[in-house]
Amino acid sequence: MTEREDSLDPIIEILREPAGLRADLTDRVMSEVDRLPPPGIAALDRVRWWRRTWTIRLSPVRGLGLAAGLAVLALGVHLAGRRAGPATPPGAERAPEGQPIQFVLIAPEAQAVAVVGDFNDWSMSATPLARTLGDGVWHVTIPLGPGRYRYAFVVNGAIWRNDPEAPAAEDEFGRANSVVTVGGS
Amino acid sequence: MRLGMIPLWLLIAATPPMARGQEPRLLGRVPDPARAQVDAILDAARVRGLPVEPLLDRALEGATKGAPPAAIVAAVTRLRDELVVVSRAFGETASTAELTAGASALRAGAGADDLARLRRLRPGRPLTVAAAVMADLVAAGVAADTAAGAVLALAQNADDADYIAFRRNVQRDIELGASPAAALAVRIRSATDLSSTPGSETMPGTGASRKRKP
Repeated sequence: MTEREDSLDPIIEILREPAGLRADLTDRVMSEVDRLPPPGIAALDRVRWWRRTWTIRLSPVRGLGLAAGLAVLALGVHLAGRRAGPATPPGAERAPEGQPIQFVLIAPEAQAVAVVGDFNDWSMSATPLARTLGDGVWHVTIPLGPGRYRYAFVVNGAIWRNDPEAPAAEDEFGRANSVVTVGGS
Repeated sequence: MRLGMIPLWLLIAATPPMARGQEPRLLGRVPDPARAQVDAILDAARVRGLPVEPLLDRALEGATKGAPPAAIVAAVTRLRDELVVVSRAFGETASTAELTAGASALRAGAGADDLARLRRLRPGRPLTVAAAVMADLVAAGVAADTAAGAVLALAQNADDADYIAFRRNVQRDIELGASPAAALAVRIRSATDLSSTPGSETMPGTGASRKRKP
């Protein structure tokens, strides 16, 4: 046995002796355990942070800006809801699923014919008519849902013509309209 | 840009363009300030629960026809007012097509009372074609009150096809030389006679009748 090992023996002897526990140790431990909340309640406490009172500091300018933004958002949601009310959705009207309606114009002199109306945003480029070879009959077929549609033909991009086979319709801009009514019942 | 303003800009960006009062289909077609005025009318119509498509169509029609901006705004405003009247007559559940056709009838000279009566006579049934025929008959030369009376007389039994055939035959009679009043009287008498036949429903345009479905 070395001299160094001899010097450790007294320390080892001390460590091997049983530790002296205080007589009230058990009571103190159980008291601390009783003070702990059940595990489930502790989890709830962790998610209840949102119930605490928070203080948000805003300058008047930022506060007004935030309020204005919320107001705009609320108005947007409100108006979007109104638009989706009893009226037919606009998209459905622009892409109607309905009866095929044929538009025909006899115009032998024409180089191009288009139909403009309530069904295509009155766009001169949206619905061109096709020419039947060998004659002056121009035609196009469009599916239209139930409704009353005002329309007119535009020849060569400039000459407005109504449909001689269709009823006339009201016009407030000085160029005649025709009308087609599509039933649903 | 200050970071504190980011939420505000995000909110504005998330708001639908329509809610901000800018109808994209008017851009490049209706000049300012008329476009802004039409946008304001569309916004107000949305708030009131009115359909905006007919109003937008009217503005685009004016633009395509090269109408002065003031005339476009006036036409849209007038149609908006008509839609308000028709909406009251037809009720809140009326479709866009019904309101549009009703506005045409109103423009032709039918009264709001006529439209409300049409609604009462055809509960739960579409009114688009009936109202459209009112307007078409007036355009063909029939007096407004006479046209409204004819449409109301058929309201309980006629379906859409009956109304369309009725209008087509009246127009054909007029084109062949009959006076509008005479053409309407003959066709409406034929239709109402058929409607009084037990077990049959009217076919006003064709002069024929068919058995009711069980």
